[in-house]
Amino acid sequence: MATSPRNGRLALLLLTVALLVGAATASAQPAAVTACENCHRDQRDTRLATPAHDFAGSDVHRDRGFTCVDCHGGNPNEPDKVKAKAPATGFKGKPAGQQVIAVCSRCHSDGALMRKFAPKQRIDQAAEYATSVHGQRLAKGDTNVATCISCHGAHGVRLVTDAKAPVYVLNVATTCSRCHSDGERMKSYKLPDGSPLPTDQRAKYERSVHHAAMVKRNDLSAPTCNDCHGNHGAAPPGVGAIANVCGTCHTVFATKFALSTHSQIFDRSCVECHSNHEIAQPTDALLGTDKAALCVTCHSDGDNGLKAAAAMRGEIEKLKAAIGHSQELLAAAENAGMEMGDQQLALREAGNQLTLARTEMHAFDPKPVNDVLQAGLAITAKVDADGEEALHEVSYRRTGLAVSLGAILLVVIALRLKIRSLG
Amino acid sequence: MTRHVLAWLDERLDLSGVLAFLAEKSVPRHRHSVWYYMGGITLFLVGVQVATGVLLLLYYRPSAGEAYESVQFIVSQVEFGWLIRNIHSWSANLLILMAFVHLFSTLFLRSYRKPRELTWITGVLLLFVMMGFGFSGYLLPWNELAFFATKVGTGIAGAVPVVGDFMVRFLRGGDDVTGATLTRFYGIHVAILPAIMTVLLGVHLLLIQRQGMSLPLSVEKREKAGEKIPEDPFFPNYVLHDVMWWYVALAVLAALALFLPWELGKKADAFAAVPAGIRPEWYFLAMFQLLKLIPSHVFGLEGEMLGVVGFTVAAMLLVIVPFIDRRAADGRPSPIVLGAGIAGLVFLIVFTIYGYFAA
Repeated sequence: MATSPRNGRLALLLLTVALLVGAATASAQPAAVTACENCHRDQRDTRLATPAHDFAGSDVHRDRGFTCVDCHGGNPNEPDKVKAKAPATGFKGKPAGQQVIAVCSRCHSDGALMRKFAPKQRIDQAAEYATSVHGQRLAKGDTNVATCISCHGAHGVRLVTDAKAPVYVLNVATTCSRCHSDGERMKSYKLPDGSPLPTDQRAKYERSVHHAAMVKRNDLSAPTCNDCHGNHGAAPPGVGAIANVCGTCHTVFATKFALSTHSQIFDRSCVECHSNHEIAQPTDALLGTDKAALCVTCHSDGDNGLKAAAAMRGEIEKLKAAIGHSQELLAAAENAGMEMGDQQLALREAGNQLTLARTEMHAFDPKPVNDVLQAGLAITAKVDADGEEALHEVSYRRTGLAVSLGAILLVVIALRLKIRSLG
Repeated sequence: MTRHVLAWLDERLDLSGVLAFLAEKSVPRHRHSVWYYMGGITLFLVGVQVATGVLLLLYYRPSAGEAYESVQFIVSQVEFGWLIRNIHSWSANLLILMAFVHLFSTLFLRSYRKPRELTWITGVLLLFVMMGFGFSGYLLPWNELAFFATKVGTGIAGAVPVVGDFMVRFLRGGDDVTGATLTRFYGIHVAILPAIMTVLLGVHLLLIQRQGMSLPLSVEKREKAGEKIPEDPFFPNYVLHDVMWWYVALAVLAALALFLPWELGKKADAFAAVPAGIRPEWYFLAMFQLLKLIPSHVFGLEGEMLGVVGFTVAAMLLVIVPFIDRRAADGRPSPIVLGAGIAGLVFLIVFTIYGYFAA
């Protein structure tokens, strides 16, 4: 029986009212199993069955009372699949492209609704997405780009704090690289200069100091893809924004760098020396005039830049050597039983000065670097003096012991002789 | 002048009687005589402990916030503070070692037999008091190892049936080892135990002087057979021997204090992870290791409780050995007590070494 347009509009109106009422009375109770799930679960075609199984397994929406119809439309109480998906039920089928953004943002951009379920959650994801490279390309009709479900999944959606979620901090690189390491998928995309979009970001990131911090030191605050590129508004940082991006965490370095001449010259600021995805553990070897140093890639013999680099590296090496020498002295004194706790503490402060000098170096001005290093050298000089004094004291104590033992031995011999004389 | 002072004192204290007693006192000389000096060395080490302990008191501050720093100050800033602290620590350990040697030599020579039962009992109690000194003193520097070892050690008291929980709270001054425990241990270490020791040691020494040295069974048998056992005058011969041994002990202490200084380690931090290899002082190690080996449940009873009850029974048996060993009291050999003594000694040596390497 054909449905008249009038009846259809009435059904759609009723469905909309039902949805709104349902949303208004939303609770944290999991949704009951619907006819959609009952039917889809038993399908032989895994494309039809898997969504039902995933949704039934663990899904943040289901846990909060949402069902299939909230995204797909249809009549969840109708066991007949044709009637359940009749146009009058508002059935949308499988959303794709912009439809996904619309379906998700219908709730996630609704402040009043979100306040009932996750009051602290932002509601600007769709707006941010529209500014991202993904969103802009989608708007131009490129359906190959990532939408909400590409990263969060469609069925079995988990909270970002859930370790099994594809957007959990440890899983972000894997999730992004599903597309960005896929050469076939990426081959049609170009960088602004026309070169092909690289697909080795994840491989490089896994060799970086950031990745090591995250997986080896379990530092979940270490950056992954979205910390530099953004998540919903994902885009490469603009040329002028890189220092700001790095400076989000490396605040002091960014402040010092902003004072330097380099900040006005380097197009890619921090990246010029440290690279981007493959950021290695920085060492003092990056600074200086030898072949391993980065300074020589731009500066040449005799220019002020190289002179400054040589001066800063030389002073840093001097403090490093002084700290090493002090450590050996303290170890020798401690092995001899001397208490050198205060000196060890002072030596840690000298180490702090070395770290501070390495930070100051980012202004590329030898004067403040030298000031800090001199403060460190003054500490090591004092520690050395204490260490020498302690070793001298050890020698004095040993001499004292030898004299005492000699005296005791004489007394013991004298007592023995006396006892013998007593018979 | 000296004669006048002595005469003045004699008039009031009747010293002539004491001096006459000492002048007449003699000590038997035989092939086991060397064991007589073990008690003297132990007594000397007690004196060293008292002297160095009093000096440490001048600078030590018994609070969680200051204890570690005050010990650090003693060993690094106070003139000869390092020597005093190291000698106090080493002397404490040598003292307990010598007390054990003295106890086992007395046990194997059956010197506890009538009429010296009370000398034995006070001696065994003195050993327990010295172990108490060691346990309470170990925590006082408030370093990491001592903190966690005390936590484990006081926790074992919880296995005592009925009063276990009360004992843990009593020892710790709360549910956990805190600054309150430190203050409590300090009070026990410098006031309660010294008072108990003074009484026990006074009685012990008085009894020794009153009853004289015991003869080993074999020597006593020879004496009963009519043989004349040679004797040395207590003063000056025996006293000079004692002093000579004291000097040897002093030399050993000085060398240990310099070449093997007692480490201070890191300051105790209740929130730090428990460091690896936590174990008590060596004289508790055998018991600690045995407790670790007892299964959690034996015949339906808690293993740890069974171990603690076992140690308590063993300690009580040790105290009343003179009353158990009736054969020795009659001058006959007592193989059961001898066997138990040897088994106890072997257990202590083997389990201490095992515990040291197992940790």
